[in-house]
Amino acid sequence: MPRAFSTIWQVTEGHRTRYAFALAALIASGAVLYTVPLVSKSVIDVIIVRGAKESLPPTSVWIVDAMGGAAHVRDRLWIPGLVMLAITVLAGVLTHLRTRLSSGAAEAVARRLRDNLYDHMQRLTCRTLDQRPSGDLLQRCTSDVETLRNFLAGQVIEIGRAVAMLVIPLPLMFWLDWRLTIASIVLLPVIVTFSLVFFHRMRPVFTAKENAEGKMTTTITENLTGIRVVRAFARQDFEQSKFEGSSGEFRDADMKLFRLLATFWASSDLLCFAQSILAVGTGLWLLAHDRVSVGTFFWFISVIGMFIWPVRMMGRILADLGKALAAIERIREIVDTPDERVGDATEPFAPSGNGVSIEFRDVTFGFGAPDAPAATPVLDRVSFSIPAGGTLGIVGPSGAGKSTIVHLLLRFYDYEHGSILVAGRELRTIPRQAIRGAIGSVLQQPFLYSKTLKDNILVSAAGDSNTEDAMRSAAAVASVHSSIEEFPQQYETLVGERGITLSGGQRQRVAIARSLVQDPKILILDDALSAVDTHTEAEILQSFRSRTAKHTTIVIAHRLSTLMHADRIVVLDRGHVVQSGTHEELVAQPGMYRTLWEIQTQTEDPDERENAEVAHVH
Amino acid sequence: MSTSHLDDEFKGNFDPRVWRKLLVYLKGERRAVAQVAIGGSIIAVIEALLPILVGRMIDEADQHGLDGNLLPTFVLYVSLFAFFAGGVWMFIRAAGVVATGVGHRLRRDCFAKLQELSFSYFDTRPVGWLTSRLTSDCGRISGTLPWVILDLFWGSLLLLGAVIAMFVIEPRLAMYVLVVVPFLVVTSVVFQQLMLKSSRQARRTNSAMTASYNEELLGARTTKALVREEKNLAEFQRLSTQMNTWMLKNAIQSSVYLPLIMSIGAAGAGIALWKGGNDLLAGSGLTPGQLIAFLQFATLFAQPVQELAQRFADILNASSAAERVVSLLETTPEIRDSDAVRARVAATPSGVAQTDGGSIDGGSPRISEVVFEHVTFWYKPGVPVLHDFNLTVRKGQTVALVGATGGGKSTIVSLVARFYEPREGRILLDGVEYRDRSLHWLQSNLGVIQQVPHLFSGTVLENIRYGRLDATREEIEAAARRVNAHDFISALERGYEFQVGEGGDRLSTGQRQLVALARAVLRDPQIFIMDEATSSVDTATERLIQGGIEAILRDRIAFVIAHRLSTIRRADIILVIDGGRVVERGTHRELLARRGRYFELYTNQYAAEREIELFGQGAATVR
Repeated sequence: MPRAFSTIWQVTEGHRTRYAFALAALIASGAVLYTVPLVSKSVIDVIIVRGAKESLPPTSVWIVDAMGGAAHVRDRLWIPGLVMLAITVLAGVLTHLRTRLSSGAAEAVARRLRDNLYDHMQRLTCRTLDQRPSGDLLQRCTSDVETLRNFLAGQVIEIGRAVAMLVIPLPLMFWLDWRLTIASIVLLPVIVTFSLVFFHRMRPVFTAKENAEGKMTTTITENLTGIRVVRAFARQDFEQSKFEGSSGEFRDADMKLFRLLATFWASSDLLCFAQSILAVGTGLWLLAHDRVSVGTFFWFISVIGMFIWPVRMMGRILADLGKALAAIERIREIVDTPDERVGDATEPFAPSGNGVSIEFRDVTFGFGAPDAPAATPVLDRVSFSIPAGGTLGIVGPSGAGKSTIVHLLLRFYDYEHGSILVAGRELRTIPRQAIRGAIGSVLQQPFLYSKTLKDNILVSAAGDSNTEDAMRSAAAVASVHSSIEEFPQQYETLVGERGITLSGGQRQRVAIARSLVQDPKILILDDALSAVDTHTEAEILQSFRSRTAKHTTIVIAHRLSTLMHADRIVVLDRGHVVQSGTHEELVAQPGMYRTLWEIQTQTEDPDERENAEVAHVH
Repeated sequence: MSTSHLDDEFKGNFDPRVWRKLLVYLKGERRAVAQVAIGGSIIAVIEALLPILVGRMIDEADQHGLDGNLLPTFVLYVSLFAFFAGGVWMFIRAAGVVATGVGHRLRRDCFAKLQELSFSYFDTRPVGWLTSRLTSDCGRISGTLPWVILDLFWGSLLLLGAVIAMFVIEPRLAMYVLVVVPFLVVTSVVFQQLMLKSSRQARRTNSAMTASYNEELLGARTTKALVREEKNLAEFQRLSTQMNTWMLKNAIQSSVYLPLIMSIGAAGAGIALWKGGNDLLAGSGLTPGQLIAFLQFATLFAQPVQELAQRFADILNASSAAERVVSLLETTPEIRDSDAVRARVAATPSGVAQTDGGSIDGGSPRISEVVFEHVTFWYKPGVPVLHDFNLTVRKGQTVALVGATGGGKSTIVSLVARFYEPREGRILLDGVEYRDRSLHWLQSNLGVIQQVPHLFSGTVLENIRYGRLDATREEIEAAARRVNAHDFISALERGYEFQVGEGGDRLSTGQRQLVALARAVLRDPQIFIMDEATSSVDTATERLIQGGIEAILRDRIAFVIAHRLSTIRRADIILVIDGGRVVERGTHRELLARRGRYFELYTNQYAAEREIELFGQGAATVR
């Protein structure tokens, strides 16, 4: 808990002055508000109830004197009316200032927090991202930040207001009449305790309701996702009764909450009324015995309403405080996770010329934690090298570790043993952003942003000059230009939920165009043509070869036609390099590569062979 | 289409027709609605009486001391509070009954509607979007209604009561004080509208921000690889700045609104003090207690006016939700039983109708022949996916549909299942146009297995039992045995009681297919429809599935979107579909001999299966 408070203190940095002024405005507005009924009280005492048997309260006399004296005011009763209006307006201005300041501060804190979280999240290490479900991270960024904002903009202010409204009139109350004062506040601790305990007790009911709602939502989602199964089995009635069950449970949980709230509001109303009645009864008794003036009594019954209701809400706010503190802890946990920049290399990396050399020397890597490496490493003493401007093909079964090589090069993860040299420099000593900036990578299921095609292709373009041309020529190389031209809005077509859905092959080709615009030193195609048909693939590869000299290329593929033209091909199996050489060399030797080549190029009638096999078995 | 779904979230104006539709739902809660109204009225009357009583007591105490009528008045005053608390208790509980009851019944009807709507409805609407119609939209409507009712009664009665009380005490003074009311009303209505607008903008920005966070999480690696962190942040900051602007605007609007209301109230009190004081001093008979009552009435108006304006804004706020829910409820399914069929279903004895698969519309319960007659179909007008298609399948035959994706294979099976109906031509079941049969009857006789079968969260046992709800444990195990699923199920932790997770995600795709097969076997369908998976199962599981399929294809009409060579070869009729047309038709031998499109597909598939054998799942590439 104290950690949460220190977090709150930290996040408000730079806005504390505003909070201080807001507090000042809050106190001032409270003080001013209580003087409004003071005016009517004085007028009642001095002018209205003239034949007062008791001596006039000095406050009333002063206030009436300040307005010009009893005789003057008596003929001009609009004066106190106007004064009341003026004071209220003043209080209103102060309240407005207070809200403006506190909301301004709270919203600014929330904005900074959102920005920081956003930036922090995109720089979290891949390991952290692997470990945390994205739903959980999303919740911390959205609903937890909202809870904190609510706390800063609402709850803190409400508590401050409740306390201020209670404390400010106390001196005046005691000065005016101590007996009435005590009768007006004696039950307040009971009211606060009652509401605090009640809302604390109610938390499981809130949770139960939320759970029931969650379950109902799941039922709906499941039904809609499986609607074809429901129809195919004609199970509409069954589904309906299942849903009515969970909807009914939610209704009952919600109703339970309503019943409890009814009890709370009714009984806390009773408590507050008891407080008022106590004050009114005492006041009437004093009034009847001429121990208090009508005006003073009037003032007391006017102000009780001003502090009693905020006090009642305080219990609820205090009970909700736990929720806010938990949210703050959760946000803190994310912010405290070190991001990629922590301990990253700083020495700049700017290799000259077209393409850079890459060398893997006995690289071993397992996805387990560094102190407890996995039993079987994903990569086990992998070595290969590519000269600057050269092309390497990698082929192998799924799970062989092909993509891991890409991830290591992009420094998504750091290798544990061995060494990776890029342009002769140890990869670890190259800043993450620098090496990534030098690599253009296309993954098997590329991610496109919910932006226009143009924005997606130009997403990492450096300057503004000739970008349109660069985009078109990159799209042409990736064989996607003509498909894009066919869309009604062409390059301005929006991708994603709000726009069009691209086919897997189209996405891959857009991603290829995107990486070409980057003009990278190293180009990596990780199964990037798997969803593209053979004909288009041939086209893309043809235009690629005419520009390969520009960069070092790594091509990962299942389809051998994709990588057979590489300078060197590595066959990877379960983390080991099992074969390597040129296409011609590999086809000449028995092994995985040749088997695959035979499968992919065979022309004989498979049925004959199958039948022969079947016959053989029998 | 999708754009309009997402954007209409924050619009919506008041449409009385829509709300009249929803009022029907209040009828079921008449008692509770009455209680809300009575509770609100009790409180309003008491609130209007309190200032009078307090004024009376002050006068009594001031003039007659403890003698006279002070005590009885005080007792009345105290007892009113008990009624007040009772009223509060009553209306909150009753509002709960209304909110939860209306919510439940709205959801129930929406859900029921979704169960009968045709697939074309679902094709254009994402599951998440539909889910929020049943959760947040229904919640917003049912959460708005009871408070609107309450405040209509409470607010108007309190206003009325205060006006009457003031007129009874002193009509001329009442007129003066009432001057403030129009100002209150105008201010409230104007500001509530402004605040509604800014809060909607804030909500819209908020959902854009959530989408942005989500996208960032999904594309984290891409962002890293593209070194796009700074640009992303700059774009996000534009959103968070917008959010800041709207939230602040909303806060400032309310910080102007509330002081304004307060000031108008104070102006009323000022007028009361001025004019009332003059009257009193002039000896009109007005007592100090009555003047104090007037002072309190003048400030009392603010609250009901404020609340009523707030409810008005709430209704506007819930309007788009109401429109969407009503439009869902009013959608008529494209595919449903004709009136004639429904009449026949109603005329058939219910004992027969209750059993799964039995004829419930008086027609023949068996299906021994399915005929497509000149069937043409399109999803979008002008883009036909199936053209003049003819086919006859008899009991015991298996039809394999092969061809490229998007060629129209799934369309054919969807038409058989009557998920869609032919746009032109007809489909006959044993010579009867299937539109003249009951939809429920046909679908009760289907066994459908999808490529990635959907399981419901729950146990394996419950999932298989979905095929026949009254099946015994023994029957379920027997079904699992028939499709070779029993062994793997028994090996699961807790066996048949294994929780499969949401959508079945704790099982592999192959295991899910086996469970789905068992489910279909238990159903004992007359028509079997299957969308085979290509590469998602390992060889061992695939062999199990093969055996399972063989067991259930016998003696049934089967349509298989076939990928596996074994299934394709065994089929009685193979249709090669391309571009909505049957380009080749025949048995395996005939088609291979032709060395055409089928030969090409078959050869490719052969290579793909070999690749999978060599390289494992996910290895097969597009050809």
